[in-house]
Amino acid sequence: MKNKIISYIKSKLATEVVEEIDINEDLLGSGLVDSLGMVQLVLFIENEANIKVAPEDMTIENFMTVNHILKYIARK
Amino acid sequence: MKSIYTLPQLIENVARASPNREAFRYLEETISYSELHKKTDQLASYLISIGIKKGDRVSIFMNRCLETSIAVYGTLKAGAVYVPLDTAAPLHKTAAIINDCQISCLITTTTKRRKVDTLLNEKSTLNRVIGDTLKNSIPSVAWDDIFSIELDDYIPPTILEQDLAFILYTSGSTGVPKGIMHTHYSGLSLAKIAADTYDFNSDDIFGNPAPLHFDPSTFGYFVAPLVGATTVIIPDAHLKMPASLSALISKERITVWYSVPLMLIQLLHSETLDKHDFSSLRWVLFAGEVFITKHLRALMKKWPNARFSNLYGPAELILCTYYNVPEPPKTDEPIPIGKVWNNTEYKILDQNNNDVSKGEIGQLAIRSATLMQGYWNNKSLTEQSLHKVTIASGYDHTYYKTGDLVKLNNLGELLFLGRNDRQIKLRGYRVELDEIELTLLKHKDVEEVAVLVLGKDEEVQELVAVIKPSKDASINLTYLMEFCKVELPSYAIPKTIEFMDDFPRTSSGKISRKEISKLLEEHQL
Repeated sequence: MKNKIISYIKSKLATEVVEEIDINEDLLGSGLVDSLGMVQLVLFIENEANIKVAPEDMTIENFMTVNHILKYIARK
Repeated sequence: MKSIYTLPQLIENVARASPNREAFRYLEETISYSELHKKTDQLASYLISIGIKKGDRVSIFMNRCLETSIAVYGTLKAGAVYVPLDTAAPLHKTAAIINDCQISCLITTTTKRRKVDTLLNEKSTLNRVIGDTLKNSIPSVAWDDIFSIELDDYIPPTILEQDLAFILYTSGSTGVPKGIMHTHYSGLSLAKIAADTYDFNSDDIFGNPAPLHFDPSTFGYFVAPLVGATTVIIPDAHLKMPASLSALISKERITVWYSVPLMLIQLLHSETLDKHDFSSLRWVLFAGEVFITKHLRALMKKWPNARFSNLYGPAELILCTYYNVPEPPKTDEPIPIGKVWNNTEYKILDQNNNDVSKGEIGQLAIRSATLMQGYWNNKSLTEQSLHKVTIASGYDHTYYKTGDLVKLNNLGELLFLGRNDRQIKLRGYRVELDEIELTLLKHKDVEEVAVLVLGKDEEVQELVAVIKPSKDASINLTYLMEFCKVELPSYAIPKTIEFMDDFPRTSSGKISRKEISKLLEEHQL
């Protein structure tokens, strides 16, 4: 799952060319992923992990880094 | 109280009267008015020491953060003009703006290092970076070095209210960037009129989600200091995560919120508004786009104690009209943009620039203290955008032609009817694209919509509606087409309907119809 998410961000969502994305890299504050990108990322995760992301789960604590996202998926 | 003529005097005044009052806050970081006064003197002193002269342009390349307040006021104190750059824009476009303005100095923070490095690879007039120390590059200086400057020999330059203060670049509908020039006078006029209109006071806490290059940032950076209030700068991350934004507005006890409607709609849909306490919220202001009435009604019911106001104004005037929504709207009709505020008058013009008869549709033209000085480096475009009424030989009244279509309702309020250029001719029929959008929005399954024309020549042009469905809506294309047939004249029915999970947007959050048509055209190839 980790690699799938990273390669999706790198190939589809990143607003600049990046060689590697660290699992602890801040996706939101850095501007690496924009608002539309976050909507797409949530849909991607819903499909890949077969979970439903509730609106109230759209928080920085759940989506700031790839690491946060993986922990969120594991809790679901 | 002494009179104020320039923007830096806003900070000086509060720093003198209430030095410890909090000026800006960004999460756990905070800066008082007296600290801001000193640090901006230090930045101004540095700018003057490297040769920045009155009227020179200085660029600000930052995300929303505490240092933006120092960059803005430090530049202004040096007598220079600040030019905020969109950090999300393609870097060759950013370089084009830097060259258009002949900018030598860029103010930034360490978080933008990767982008600044790439930007410096573009050919530009930059020869100095403030806010980060760069290796093997042009001269640069860190913030800490700025803040250790001694001010014994610092002599502030004389600034007049008609001096240029900032230039805002907008992409413009034709795609060529326009630099909108504002003076200390137009910026300060905006602050004074806004403070009168809404009765802001020193207990207010302004939520500022706008980036510096977007004109609503004038509220957080100028209006709040005029009344001695505090501005909370909203971090980028919160704007992407509505549930976190909701918690932040509540926690910071924000009393004045001003944003595009989109952010408020996202808050509404975050389903967190019942979880937090929003009792401190006094004013909810919105502008930049039409607030879809059904969403506005829902939000007003969630926040019954706040007052809601619809503001309108192109960046050339910053703002010019307002409408305080008296109660949750009963119907889905769009709400008015209201009346012009203080120190402002208007005309509604027909195609020959004559006044229309009462109640007729025409282009809105505005004369105001907040009117821009003109477009940077583009005299002919400035002339084109203005409408001059000769009162006597040698004395004109100058109006700005907004390019927006309006009419008066029977209460004397202005109704916004869309862009002048969103009215097209299709097979001989005059089609208002915005009107088609408003019709589709009445459908309960439609959350947002963009109606576009594809095809260059009139014979092959087609209407396309792109729809973002409401949450949990099970959209049926046949049923939606039926709805169009009932609600619209036959020539205004979209040939095709497409669906998108969300729209591409401009950096200010507006739907980017240009990007959508690009996407559609690529798909069809």
